[in-house]
Amino acid sequence: MDRGFLLESLRSAIEAIKTNKLRSLLTTLGIIIGVTTVIAVISVISGLKTQVASSFSTLGANVLYVQKYPWVMGGAGIDWWKIRQRKDMGMDEFRALKEYGSSFKYVAPQITYRYDVKVGNKNARGVEVVGTTEHFPEIRDQGVKLGRFLSLDDIRYRRDVCILGQDVVNTLYPDENPIGKQVRIKGRILTVIGILKELGDLMGQSMDNVVVIPYTTMAKFVGHRRSITITVLAQDEEEASEEIRWILRRVRKVKPGEDDDFSINSSGAITKQFNELTRTMFIIMIGIAGISLVVGGIGIMNIMLVSVTERTREIGVRKAIGAKSSEILSQFLLESVMISFVGGIIGIFLGFSLTKLISTIGNMPFGMPIWSIVLGFSFSFFIGVFFGIYPARKAASLSPVEALRYE
Amino acid sequence: MSNLIEMKKVRKTYKLGETEVHALQGVNVSISKGEFISIIGPSGSGKSTLMHIIGCLDVPSVGSYHLQGEDVGKMNGDQLADIRKKFIGFVFQDFYLLPDVTAWYNVALPMIYNRVPPKTRKERAINLLTEVDLSDRINHLPNQLSGGERQRVTIARALSNNPEIILADEPTGNLDSVTGEGVMQIFYKLHEEGKTVIIVTHEHYVADQAERKIQLKDGMIEDGG
Repeated sequence: MDRGFLLESLRSAIEAIKTNKLRSLLTTLGIIIGVTTVIAVISVISGLKTQVASSFSTLGANVLYVQKYPWVMGGAGIDWWKIRQRKDMGMDEFRALKEYGSSFKYVAPQITYRYDVKVGNKNARGVEVVGTTEHFPEIRDQGVKLGRFLSLDDIRYRRDVCILGQDVVNTLYPDENPIGKQVRIKGRILTVIGILKELGDLMGQSMDNVVVIPYTTMAKFVGHRRSITITVLAQDEEEASEEIRWILRRVRKVKPGEDDDFSINSSGAITKQFNELTRTMFIIMIGIAGISLVVGGIGIMNIMLVSVTERTREIGVRKAIGAKSSEILSQFLLESVMISFVGGIIGIFLGFSLTKLISTIGNMPFGMPIWSIVLGFSFSFFIGVFFGIYPARKAASLSPVEALRYE
Repeated sequence: MSNLIEMKKVRKTYKLGETEVHALQGVNVSISKGEFISIIGPSGSGKSTLMHIIGCLDVPSVGSYHLQGEDVGKMNGDQLADIRKKFIGFVFQDFYLLPDVTAWYNVALPMIYNRVPPKTRKERAINLLTEVDLSDRINHLPNQLSGGERQRVTIARALSNNPEIILADEPTGNLDSVTGEGVMQIFYKLHEEGKTVIIVTHEHYVADQAERKIQLKDGMIEDGG
């Protein structure tokens, strides 16, 4: 298209919008609401996803948590009563997985209790005390930053040693190196041999309020009375899950045809569940946005038809001085696209502000994907063209004589 | 020398609701290059329809119209637009200027459709406004101009693509007699410069200033065709 003509069409479109500011704004309201919704929904959901993904990434990729209960209850066909009747997960299962598993990199039990950990009159309350093996660092991808981790001998000889999380260090030994010093858990004295690297928060809870000890030592306080977690670092989650099921169904004597009486949890599975949840939300909101975009489009069509009627004489004059039908069409199409586009820009801006507000109030990471902006622009462009084409064609097809004669 | 405009047995019929209007009923017109013509007749005589056909805004229902040897009657909308752009400059009774742009921009508008480069457009528009004595009104909006000034802007616009024919529809209809006289002077000057000027009017004192009068009545030429 010729530049001079394009500029003239742009000028004419801007002039028309400027002349009817209020009318144009009201017309574009549907587009504004639609685009705002699209942008806000996409951004908020993508922010949530980022948060969930980053939170669960601290749990480690390819880590399976074999447990009595599933992490998330939901969906149809879940029999809560039956789940409650399940047998505890115990050391027999751990030993079976360790012995027969061939697709795992590492297997380690985790027996977890909350105890107070004390030094003199200092008390770290409700610390997560984890009894495990020497493979814990590989599975959790969390080594020690000072001292050493549990050794095979620590486990074999049930040594009274422990590794502290940073939160516990901060409470009990804020000003000195705790290694070689002692802490008290349930009246038993344990020697500190290392400090764990920090993990930060998961869903608002600190992951560093923890003490790790040999699971054999743990047995001295609690026996084997409680359901444990067996953590597995898999090469491939699917394959490992299948193998775990195969082994555990035999160990736990699950009859063929019956459901598993255990759960294999993972960060991947929970992310999947979250995605399913947000997808429903997404579809509903996009539906609402779609309706308002269509309503907005019809508004634009209506106002453009009015505009064509109002400017029939102008169209006649333009044709008389040599404008082709295609040039009249472009001019009016540009006007409708521009109205829609202005709505799109306002919508993108409002969507941005709304997302910012939600992320501030909800304390979520702010993420506005570039493609959501591109989508906002494309939507408004498409609506402008789609609903502007009919009025523009009407303008273009006017006969010059009738247009000039129009009163 | 062949005629610039050659119309043979032109009829134009159009529908007004249920009734058929026979606006032109077999009209023959020949006009040579450089002539100063007036078309006169009472309202309903078909002079507007004749002007529309001469100006390539419309085509004959029956009959032939050759403009500079080209058969206009068989052209489509875009071809007619091209002819209008290059050969014909319109001057309307009600001026029909775009209200929200300056005088010079209005004059430059036909050049936009004729793909004239921007710099040339403005230069030429200013020159044309100077020619019609409006050099001090270049940046005025139409509503800041008097009726006579507006009509002179319209004439400058009509000249912008340097057309062969100036076609004016009641150019003095909305002006007082003194101002109207001034506008007629401009048409006379254009005629002297070699343009073909055709004025459609119902006023005899206007028509009498032309070299030749074509008188229409009831869709037929009474005199001067």
